[in-house]
Amino acid sequence: MYDEQRLIELRGVSKSFGDTQVLYDIDLYIRKREFVTLLGPSGCGKTTMLRIIGGFEMPTRGSVIFEDKDITGVPPYRRRVNTVFQKYALFTHLNVFDNIAFGLKLRKLPKAEIAERVGRMLRLVKMEGYEKRSVESLSGGQQQRIAIARALVNEPEVLLLDEPLGALDLKLRQEMQLELKSMQQELGITFLYVTHDQEEALTMSDTIVVMKGGRIQQIGDPKRIYDEPKNAFVADFIGQSNLLSGVMLEDELVMMAGKEFPCVDEGFEKNEVVDVVVRPEDIMVVGTDVGMLEGVVESVLFKGVHYEMMVATGDMRWKVHSTTMQPVGSRVGLSIVPFNIHIMRREAVTLPAEGGEKA
Amino acid sequence: MVTSAARRDLRRRSSGGFKTLYIVILLVFLYLPILVMIGLSFNASESRAQWTGFTLDWYGRLFRDARIISALEVTVTVATLATVISTVIGTLAAIGMHSMKQGWSNLLTNVAYLPMTTPDIVTGVSLMLMFVFVRWPLSKWTMLCAHVAFDTPYVLFSVLPRLRQMNPNLYEAALDLGCRPTKALFKVILPEILPGVITGALLAFTMSLDDFVISYFTSNTDQNLSMIVYSAAKLGVEPTMYALSTLMFLVILALLLIINRRSKLEEI
Amino acid sequence: MKRSWYATPYALWMLIFTIVPLLFVVYFAFTTRDGAFTVENFGKSFRPVSLPVVFDSFRLAFFCTVICLVVGYPAAYFLSGRSGRAVVVLILLPMWMNFLLRTYAMMTLLERNGVINTILEAVGLPPQTLIGTEAAVLLGMVYNFLPFMILPIYTVLKKMDRRVIEAAEDLGAPPVKVFTRVVIPLSVPGVVSGVTMVFMPAVTTFAISRMLGNGNVYLIGDTIENYFINFSNRNVGSALSLVLMVLIVISIGLLRKADPKGEGGALW
Repeated sequence: MYDEQRLIELRGVSKSFGDTQVLYDIDLYIRKREFVTLLGPSGCGKTTMLRIIGGFEMPTRGSVIFEDKDITGVPPYRRRVNTVFQKYALFTHLNVFDNIAFGLKLRKLPKAEIAERVGRMLRLVKMEGYEKRSVESLSGGQQQRIAIARALVNEPEVLLLDEPLGALDLKLRQEMQLELKSMQQELGITFLYVTHDQEEALTMSDTIVVMKGGRIQQIGDPKRIYDEPKNAFVADFIGQSNLLSGVMLEDELVMMAGKEFPCVDEGFEKNEVVDVVVRPEDIMVVGTDVGMLEGVVESVLFKGVHYEMMVATGDMRWKVHSTTMQPVGSRVGLSIVPFNIHIMRREAVTLPAEGGEKA
Repeated sequence: MVTSAARRDLRRRSSGGFKTLYIVILLVFLYLPILVMIGLSFNASESRAQWTGFTLDWYGRLFRDARIISALEVTVTVATLATVISTVIGTLAAIGMHSMKQGWSNLLTNVAYLPMTTPDIVTGVSLMLMFVFVRWPLSKWTMLCAHVAFDTPYVLFSVLPRLRQMNPNLYEAALDLGCRPTKALFKVILPEILPGVITGALLAFTMSLDDFVISYFTSNTDQNLSMIVYSAAKLGVEPTMYALSTLMFLVILALLLIINRRSKLEEI
Repeated sequence: MKRSWYATPYALWMLIFTIVPLLFVVYFAFTTRDGAFTVENFGKSFRPVSLPVVFDSFRLAFFCTVICLVVGYPAAYFLSGRSGRAVVVLILLPMWMNFLLRTYAMMTLLERNGVINTILEAVGLPPQTLIGTEAAVLLGMVYNFLPFMILPIYTVLKKMDRRVIEAAEDLGAPPVKVFTRVVIPLSVPGVVSGVTMVFMPAVTTFAISRMLGNGNVYLIGDTIENYFINFSNRNVGSALSLVLMVLIVISIGLLRKADPKGEGGALW
């Protein structure tokens, strides 16, 4: 999908606004034609990082490298980077055509070429025939398309997108996710995408950068981030998980919820306290006689494809996804295969709440 | 039999009638004197007592009166220059204050409230004291300085809300697409706030045309139209003044209606 | 955006033509003709001769404010209902129009051989002395300042959530109770603002009293005008202006206590 060549690098970037530090010593590189997503809750510093790459903010410390050149102090109008802003930031005094042509006119390109390129962009975002329309007469989704066209028409090396789909409804958002991904592949442009929606990140990205509190928590491809979260925060943020604390009795054996479970992790201290993640879809509902755990179904919610059940075993409550429903109050057995138990080293910052239930 | 619903309906309708009547009486109270005066400005007889026929005589005299012509000149010159100057410095100030730290911009906003809350007579007197103290002769130029000072806040308060409503990313989007900062100001920010700038300019022009108290204290050698009306009023009512007042009313009314069309008056 | 310095021309202009002049008022208020420090000017502005003037000014302004409130509140309430915008604009428009012209129009009606007396004579009634009385001045003030009372009350009532009234009705309040327990308390900010906007110009006016009072009604504004325009005593005039400003600041401050959030801040 992407080249090995590094296009943009952040080296030791920190950023403070007054007394509040929002980024701590960030190191990150983005490869050519890569689709990178910065994922994290609001206030994690992801937008600030995007704005530093766009040139709208100066890092307090550290540098931004673009194709081996330091561009830390280069103003935005001299960077080969374009941005799609959160609320589109279309120029309301200009019509659709002039909005898209804005950057090209500044570069004083010949009229015919401008018209040709704007036309091509309108086709790309499926907005042919809207040239003369005022941008205020467009729907949110259409404005979004124009904002994307306005940035892409300049053929940037990198397109920065700051929660571009945040204001759209679910169906439109899913449609645009696919379109953005195919546009990116078609044009071969590097995308740096900011979102707080983990599903969006998992759908579109080549690489996901999970952030929290101004620090990078994990970098990896979607599958790796989903399957092997590096810490409790990532596990919790990426999916609805059962998150509990355990003790590594020895290699490939963990004690949790008062029972011993075989697992596949090794290399921990003997009796080291660890965080354990078990995804709801990885817990099998079995008969009470064969289950590793036995519990009572407390609640059942129909979620479309599956049922979501809360099962209480002693002090623990497990979130379980299953395609077959068990009535509330029935006793069930639960079983987990070793490679679905994810063991993570405990960090100073630990579980949001003890137990498998999300607060 | 009258049902209770019908009775309530009846009461509501009669109270609606009372409301309408009240508003109509109020409108008559507010506009009757003005309409009478406009009517009398076309009355052939000099007396207010009787209508002796339609004439444009008083308007004719108005434009042959050198004193009034020169006052007109003063009024228009001062209003035009004050509008231009206050629009420029007010718009610049709004842009500057928008990118300022909260504390400073609050301070400058409060300064703008000063001429709005100080009684006109005190403002006029204070300026007069200063001009006399530094030995500036009180003329249309001192009047101009004073007008700019009370006009600028109107421009400022028309432009600032526009800037606040503006998507902060607009300016960045222009830079992102290759605009230099100054060019972005003219190509993106100015068009975005232009409606506010124009409304501010119209307001400033109206306020300047309209002013009496501050002009009265800050100019001696040059008189504007309001000052002429005042000095004439001291001597009693005069039909040429009806004609002058009528014309001023119509001009100001027209300006106000334009401003109102642009920005809802109730929000001003 | 490093554009803070754009506000410099505005800041300088306001400093020189608004703040410094006000400091001159303070300076002159505390000095003699020869520039020596004194506090006697304040004593002089409260001489037995001028004390009644101060009293009269505040009394007339108070009556004017009360009348405007009593007449204006229902108007604002009715307008906030379902009136068309045109009516609202018509009622509020005069507040932006030259008060001198409106007072001049009032003169036309009230004069000895003005419109009202002509009508009285025509129906065989004896002519009345209208102009030159306190009542005429009061009428002129109400005529001029009434829209300033209506605007802020109207704004507050218009912004009021109509569902609050429905909620009160739903909870069993009859119309009168809804009005006294819900509408009036919620409109306090507007009333406070309106009272300020009427009281302040009313207490400082000088042209209205001159034109409609015919020299029989003499207010603080007239006294100040006299001190300055006839150059009789600028120092005492400054002291009186300062006293006036302090009194106004105190009364506004007291009023604002009733509206701590400044919701009725419809000063413009």
